[in-house]
Amino acid sequence: MSAPQVAVVRPHPAAPPTLASASPQVTGFRSLDRAAQIALVLALVTGLITHAYHLFQYPLYSTDEGIYVERAWAVIREDRLSPQTYVYDHAPGGWLLIALWEFLLPGNFESFGNPVAGGRILALLLHLASVFFLFQIARKFSGGGLIAPVVATFLFNFSPLAIYYQRMILLDNIMVFWVLLSIYLLIRGRHGLFTGLWSGLAFGVGVITKENAIFFAPTIFYLLIRTTRQDSNRRFALTFWLFASAVPVVGYILLATLKGELLPAQLSLSLTRPPQGHVSLLYELWFQVHRNEGSLFAPGGFLHVLWLPKDPYLLGIGTVAMLACLVIGWRERKQNPALLVAGTLAFEIAFYLGRGSVILDFYVLPLIPTYALCVGLVADRAARRLPASTARVAVPIACALAGALLIAPSGGYVLKHGQQHQLQLADQYYLPLTYLQLDQIAWIRQHIPRTDKIITDDDIWVALHDKQPYPYAQSHWNAVSDPRVRSIFGGGNSQDINYVVLSNGMKHAMILNNSNGQENWILTALNSATEVWHASRGSVTLAIYQVHP
Amino acid sequence: MGLAAGDMIRDLVYGALVVFSILVTIQSAHTLYLTLYIWAKPTSEAIAPEQFRPPRVSFTVMVPARHEESVIQATIGRVCEANYPQELIQVLVVCSADDKGTIAKVNEKISALRKAGLENVSVVTFEDGPVNKPHGLNVGLRYAVNEVVTIFDAEDDVHLDIFNVVNTVMQDEDVRVVQAGVQLMNFDSTWYSALNVLEYFFWFKSRLHYHARTGAIPLGGNTVFFDRGLVTRIGGWDEHNLTEDADIGLRLSAAGERIRVVYDDRYVTKEETPPTVSAFIRQRTRWSQGFMQTLKKGTWKDLPTRKQRWLAFYTLAFPRGQAVLGIYVVISLLTMFSLKTPEQVALITFLPVLMILAFFLIYVIGLQEFTRAHGLQASPGSVLRLALGWLPYQLMLSYAALRAVARESRGATDWEKTQHVGAHREHDPGALLEASDETAA
Repeated sequence: MSAPQVAVVRPHPAAPPTLASASPQVTGFRSLDRAAQIALVLALVTGLITHAYHLFQYPLYSTDEGIYVERAWAVIREDRLSPQTYVYDHAPGGWLLIALWEFLLPGNFESFGNPVAGGRILALLLHLASVFFLFQIARKFSGGGLIAPVVATFLFNFSPLAIYYQRMILLDNIMVFWVLLSIYLLIRGRHGLFTGLWSGLAFGVGVITKENAIFFAPTIFYLLIRTTRQDSNRRFALTFWLFASAVPVVGYILLATLKGELLPAQLSLSLTRPPQGHVSLLYELWFQVHRNEGSLFAPGGFLHVLWLPKDPYLLGIGTVAMLACLVIGWRERKQNPALLVAGTLAFEIAFYLGRGSVILDFYVLPLIPTYALCVGLVADRAARRLPASTARVAVPIACALAGALLIAPSGGYVLKHGQQHQLQLADQYYLPLTYLQLDQIAWIRQHIPRTDKIITDDDIWVALHDKQPYPYAQSHWNAVSDPRVRSIFGGGNSQDINYVVLSNGMKHAMILNNSNGQENWILTALNSATEVWHASRGSVTLAIYQVHP
Repeated sequence: MGLAAGDMIRDLVYGALVVFSILVTIQSAHTLYLTLYIWAKPTSEAIAPEQFRPPRVSFTVMVPARHEESVIQATIGRVCEANYPQELIQVLVVCSADDKGTIAKVNEKISALRKAGLENVSVVTFEDGPVNKPHGLNVGLRYAVNEVVTIFDAEDDVHLDIFNVVNTVMQDEDVRVVQAGVQLMNFDSTWYSALNVLEYFFWFKSRLHYHARTGAIPLGGNTVFFDRGLVTRIGGWDEHNLTEDADIGLRLSAAGERIRVVYDDRYVTKEETPPTVSAFIRQRTRWSQGFMQTLKKGTWKDLPTRKQRWLAFYTLAFPRGQAVLGIYVVISLLTMFSLKTPEQVALITFLPVLMILAFFLIYVIGLQEFTRAHGLQASPGSVLRLALGWLPYQLMLSYAALRAVARESRGATDWEKTQHVGAHREHDPGALLEASDETAA
């Protein structure tokens, strides 16, 4: 009887590693080799520096940040999901997390001065966690190499587009964290029995944080199928994933049912004559699905006006890398699904953005890590194809390119040209803006009685309600859409407004939101009001108007 | 004042609902973990050895039987067909002397076997009481001569290689107690049989491993192998306990004995679900009451570590919890339509429902795993029966637990025997030897 033959097959140095054959050591920091540990620490430190530095000064506290902090405030202070009528515009997972965070802070909303600033610290922590997940995902997908994770996290940390939106406490940032966690749980080491459960739960929480996470579902589930192919507990993993991801969503639907707000009043789904009586989860979903306003690619769309000016490199190279991942990934999907997974993750969110429905500027957020991942993986694949002699010089060249990208003023990654063409730090590290909002709040506290009725925006709502509150300060959005809030102002009477506190671009937003004339009574008040305070910096302008001098 | 008191009572009710729901959810999650425990472990921990050692260990098979005329001959025949030297196997069929029918069938079989050259089967009778399984086992133990004693029930369909499996495990791992797998098979017989089958599936395949590893294991009633000296030293089986198997397992655990569980789909002992609802309830009542007796007896307190004691207590006390849960289910159904609570309270009280759903999904997968392992086919109708039978089955378990509480409180400790009809036997075990009977006739 002869001994069994053992064939030793050495992989070709340039052969792309498969997902299954990739280094399994992605379970934690200690299991990384020295070089990977250094790379990960660098990624986390650069993420910390780029996002923490100037965090409280730039960008301006936005309306949406204000809305989510305001709802977190309602969770803690009023045991409700919103200080106004909750209309199911978004599932509450995101601001429940913000509420938990603020609750744990010793000074709650005042811990970092402005209430939104506390939320930004949470956004920073979530970003660092996301950097860790992205690094490990890119490393696993590239077979344990360092090129993909370094490139991906570099773009994720330094892109001006990323920094601008990732600093904000937005639902999309929280959702990205949950989605990356869900993927990370699937690719880390050996599958445990409950891997599917935890990954599914993370994904489900992502969905009830921001509903568009659902676009990632097919790819994450496909990844689960591929990673559990050899597992004896595969059936459990798949079922647990589906079950756990459905649980938060079912909980959300159950909440609406318990409040009697699942179905629309009179069971009407009319978009022209919205049902009256009570809000409805199903109607809101129906309404959102049927919204079709404008195009991302139109000349005045966010792509041209906001995103490309902030980072044309990430968006351009990312799109090419996504296509490359899709093509190469499709060809090699049977051996290694990594590129296909990365490509489809990016494609799903790109499709969501480009399909023509209503989007807001920060909806670009989930695209950033997926594009960064695609670029990292394509860079890794390109490096593997280089001959050994070229590869030796490729690393210094890549570092030089990264350095050039950082210091090139045209990229705006670190430097930019000032108004007089002088070289200065890019806006995200230089331009202070939020002091304008702090000054605005300070002026209100000094000059306006707390019993006055104020129309304002959500960015300063919590600042005006948490300590020494202004109970009659309400955002124009709610004053026109929520009958309960409108009743504070005599049911929509411009004579019942004492002050209009304008945030940046608020008047423009009111005009855009006035298709049915619902903002007319506020605009009328504004037109007859006197400006009593004004501050501006660059294109940002804030003002306060007194309606009855 | 009245309003404040009313508010306080209402808050107390809400608080109780929340606390109870959270506790039930935690308990369910823990049970779910135990149910799936073995799937989280390497396969090698559970299955039988792939290669058998040469036969060395000798076995005494004890088959306690009462009114088992219809199945006893096939069981004896099956044991005598085992792929193991018959000179290393002693078979003792233990009957009460008044069970003339079974004794006659056994003697008939013994005659046929002797004609076929097999002398290792004998019938042992007793006239003293109590007439129950543990007493029969203690009687049988006195006549046992081999190194290892094992128990098969009269209706058991034993695998032909089971002795090879245990012979190998006992030699390789130096253990003196082995619990091998027992599996109900007839998952499509009645509306509740799939649920009953899967209970066994998860209990023997998964949960018992956790108990064995923790060192607090209520053993099964058959296909369990003991070193004869060991079981003699601890005084055999408790004749006043309705679950003498669980009791002896905990006594062995308390004595520090390492117990090995081997569940391998290939080598399980096949059994049948009780044929009727009343038979099922009687069987389950006996088990629940037996656990209550074992809990009261307090052997679990002798376990060395807190974790072992807690696990044993938790397991033995479960039937009482099951009785409470049955009442809880009824109350839940009533309050679902009558009690208006704040949304947060209602959401929390929904958590146990999610756990029920999780268990149901696990059972659906379990049904697929079970049927695949045994070359069977689960139809969509089987899954539908699983779904429709779920709640009635849980209520049936709770009813049996309540019945056990009632019996225990009024001191009724008689043995409610389970009827066997052989529904798990797709073939006729021992057919070869039956044929020799006919030849002899």
